[in-house]
Amino acid sequence: MSETDIKIKDSTASWQDGVAKTITFIVTKDCQLACKYCYLVGKNEKERMSWDVAKRAIDYILDHERDFPEKSVIFEFIGGEPFLEIDLIDRICDYIKVELYSRCHHWFDSYRFSFSTNGINYHTDKVQAFINKNISHLSIGITIDGTQRKHDLNRVWKGVEERGSYLDVVRNIPLWLQQFPEEATKVTISSADIPYIKESVLHLYGLGIHAVNINVVFENVWKDGDDKLFENQLMLLADDIIDGGYYKDYACSFFSENIGKPLDPERENNNWCGAGKMLAVDAAGNFYPCTRFAAYSLRSKEPIVIGNVSDGIDKNKLRPFLALDRITQSPDKCKTCNVASGCAWCQGENYDAAETNTIYQRATAICLMHKARVHANNYYWNKLYRKLEMDGRSTKCEG
Amino acid sequence: MLQYLVILLDDTSVSFCHYDVTKPERRLISLDDLRQGIRFGMMENLMIQFIYPDYALPQEYLDVIDTIDHSNIKPLSALDCETDIVVVDGWKYNVAKLNGAVVVLRTSWNQLSKNHNNLKGLLNVVMRLSVVITDVERMTASDHEQYKAVLELLGKDVESICLSGKSPQFNLLTDRLMLTEMNNCGAGDMTITLAPNGKFYICPAFYYENEADSVGDLNNGLNIKNRQLYSLDHAPICRKCDAWQCRRCVWLNRKTTLEVNIPSREQCVAAHLERNTSRQLMLSLRSKGTFLPDIEEIKEIDYLDPFEIIRQ
Amino acid sequence: MKKLVGKVTEDERNEIQALFERRNGLRELAQVLTPDNVELYDRLVKDMGENATLFQNWWNRMAEKYKWESADGGNWEINFNNCEIFLKTV
Repeated sequence: MSETDIKIKDSTASWQDGVAKTITFIVTKDCQLACKYCYLVGKNEKERMSWDVAKRAIDYILDHERDFPEKSVIFEFIGGEPFLEIDLIDRICDYIKVELYSRCHHWFDSYRFSFSTNGINYHTDKVQAFINKNISHLSIGITIDGTQRKHDLNRVWKGVEERGSYLDVVRNIPLWLQQFPEEATKVTISSADIPYIKESVLHLYGLGIHAVNINVVFENVWKDGDDKLFENQLMLLADDIIDGGYYKDYACSFFSENIGKPLDPERENNNWCGAGKMLAVDAAGNFYPCTRFAAYSLRSKEPIVIGNVSDGIDKNKLRPFLALDRITQSPDKCKTCNVASGCAWCQGENYDAAETNTIYQRATAICLMHKARVHANNYYWNKLYRKLEMDGRSTKCEG
Repeated sequence: MLQYLVILLDDTSVSFCHYDVTKPERRLISLDDLRQGIRFGMMENLMIQFIYPDYALPQEYLDVIDTIDHSNIKPLSALDCETDIVVVDGWKYNVAKLNGAVVVLRTSWNQLSKNHNNLKGLLNVVMRLSVVITDVERMTASDHEQYKAVLELLGKDVESICLSGKSPQFNLLTDRLMLTEMNNCGAGDMTITLAPNGKFYICPAFYYENEADSVGDLNNGLNIKNRQLYSLDHAPICRKCDAWQCRRCVWLNRKTTLEVNIPSREQCVAAHLERNTSRQLMLSLRSKGTFLPDIEEIKEIDYLDPFEIIRQ
Repeated sequence: MKKLVGKVTEDERNEIQALFERRNGLRELAQVLTPDNVELYDRLVKDMGENATLFQNWWNRMAEKYKWESADGGNWEINFNNCEIFLKTV
């Protein structure tokens, strides 16, 4: 077996990664579910985006093409649950297409509509009609957390805490995979979910999902010993992925060759988070640097509004986001960390958890969890490469 | 490291900077807080600057103030022989009265654009002139165009004064000539303010904007959270910048960008117009003879907002 | 059945990918625009025609350049991720 024969599936890179502007419409703050780990503290049924606000936001953005020079654009629709507002979304997308074309806007040749949905309404006629109409420009991720017991631990119906949503979602997975076979699912891990990580990832593979994007929450929810439990789960998962040969066709974002290395303070000083490079608009017509800075996402801070559909964007309020780098916001322990690469942060959570009203204080609640991940990740790659090496030797011997 | 303590003696103490005094009622600092503030300054080895209102203080206050080496910042109406820095708010002043003084002149941009011709007369007699444009954060692109022209005219005035054998000190145009590194306001980093309520603030502007925004008090000492953000090395735009004379006002930063360590475009552009005119002045003076031979030439640059270079 | 028959350069891939993106955009726009919007509709029809021509020209040019294997009733396909060309037969 030569090196080129080795097959390891990469985590799927997002479309036009790094060159696309993400514009997020917070179309509703309502959702059928009340997930226990949801960071959206201000969900409600009242704040639904009107067509007028949506249109004014689009007009503002397209009227200012020079301020949005990115080659590509991702129009993202989130909630709450975005498909609750499928009629509005359909109208928005039609309007965007016509306006991009009639203005000869450079984004007409490079756009996507992106959704992160709980999957409950996925099969409905309206959603399906929308999908068929826009199929080549869609990215739709359905969130399913793994096995039924893991999924139903957190993803419960609003007002009926004992009713999990697994069965309501899983029935739509085959249709989703038929339409979007390359799509990944997103799994969120909080403290109570740790014991179910291994079984959940394998379960998702079993459902036919080939890429599982999984991350621990950034909030300070971790208990003593969680890091050891987490490490143990990831090691068990590593064993099963390698021993079962899943690594050839399935990816799990927990395992990456690029994490767990020291970072150069000058050459590797980029900000991790895209806040400020994105733009979000809510039902009131306010612009935010990312949805995480809208009021419904924040526990303890005032929202950071950077403009609105009437007055436009205040560029001064974007400067802190665009000037932000890793070192300036990091405490000393992060600057000198030997396993810094791959340690993520969310600018919104940093702001929410900071001692003052700043985005320049990095929250480090996931420090031990990252280190646990690095240990398991090192184990994974050492074990995998040894297996591939041994397989190669036995092939040669047989030959 | 802290080096200066500003003590606002009264709620109506004169503003010597961008902020407006928004408390119209007199409230004199308590004598006890004044004593404790001075004691704090002595223990922390700080140079104390007292900011005066426009009325005469009781003698017992003056006696306490005199227990420490200090500077006095007073409004024009209270100018006396004890004044170290006099604040002129607007353009009504008697030039002769300001002979030899260190002057802070507060003005709106609109008034500066109309009255800048009067500055040559002042520069000829004062020891130092600092012009504070109180609405610098609201200057538009066309204001900046006009500001550039005004600075060029002022540069010619300064040059002619220099050629007459004097050494005028003018914050907008001569400070940059003398500096070899950033020299900014330093609020929160080198300077802290004690307000009449006995509490500490980053600077007087923070007190007048929101009294609840204190960073400690005399009983419990200083408690500046995220203090590192007031230092230059935590200011990603400013640390790349060489408009060293810039005031780098952290209060204006927070007001315009919501972060104390990030300046607005307006503040950056104004500071760069001053820097660039200082460069012209330096070149012109050097073309006519030896001028500050030990100071490095100010480089020509092609931007007015250093945010553009960090984005690259 | 799919068989790997060749590879194009990245520049060539970018060219066909841009045409492909535009074709998809025009097709989906066609579902929204109605003939009563005369000016835009006419432009769309014209653009779709031009795009189809450019699209076919690319395949003709590449086939001529690389001499890929072909089959009756078969189609070539490109993998945009790695520039590989496949022959797809029923």
